Amino acid sequence: MNGENNKFKSSRGITAIFQAKLVLMVMINLAQLWILSAAVEAALARHYKELLPLVIASGVCWLISLSIIFWWKPVRRR
Amino acid sequence: MSSKNLSETIEKILSDEREVRAATAPYQAEFPYERDEEAQVTRREFCGFLAVTSTALFLGAAGFAGKAAYDSTKIEAFPPLKIEGAKDLQIGSALNFRYPTEIDTAILIRAADGNFYAFGQKCTHLSCPVYYAKESDRLECPCHEAGFDVKTGNVLYGPPPRPLDRIAVEMRDDGEVWATGRIAGGHES
Repeated sequence: MNGENNKFKSSRGITAIFQAKLVLMVMINLAQLWILSAAVEAALARHYKELLPLVIASGVCWLISLSIIFWWKPVRRR
Repeated sequence: MSSKNLSETIEKILSDEREVRAATAPYQAEFPYERDEEAQVTRREFCGFLAVTSTALFLGAAGFAGKAAYDSTKIEAFPPLKIEGAKDLQIGSALNFRYPTEIDTAILIRAADGNFYAFGQKCTHLSCPVYYAKESDRLECPCHEAGFDVKTGNVLYGPPPRPLDRIAVEMRDDGEVWATGRIAGGHES
């Protein structure tokens, strides 16, 4: 009974972590969508100096999303 | 497609589905496979989709910026064109002409300093035609109350995001004014 409770608690923790990862990924995607629209607007307005920072920002978001997927693993409780 | 054809197509698809289910029914017991469960997406899978979307958005932004930067390095060359009637243009007045093609309307202004300045006539906001306002000595767009500098084409006020397209003009020995090139506004920045 006690073991089942622990298993249930552990599973809940992992679910919460994936939920958090999901929320972070959604927020990063929204930010990248905004960056893409800003890049399109800057390019059409011929404000070329704004393009590089926007691309860098999008790249940083992408790297964060990759780190969330590949490196953020739940740590087992001792 | 008529409604009869549509209903026939739907019925055919459904009957195919029923036939497949009937044919595979004996194996379902040995290899249980629930399509409804398969159709569900887990958090982990959805995170994967979001990562792919993130990659696509990054590549889109980088690709669009790269294309725009590459386009900015290309300067189109247009043949010179004599602007008819420019020779007799009075100071503080303007005339319309077309350059470099028949669909590109442009405006030539002889400003108070006596020099000629020419710009594409399309406002860089929503392409309304700009006109020369003599009393304020600037180019104005009547659609959304924008103003442009008559010498540089820069935005003075209003919603346009960039300067007017500039048309290079030169006065030749016979006094005639020629348009010799067109540079997209904001291209220099």
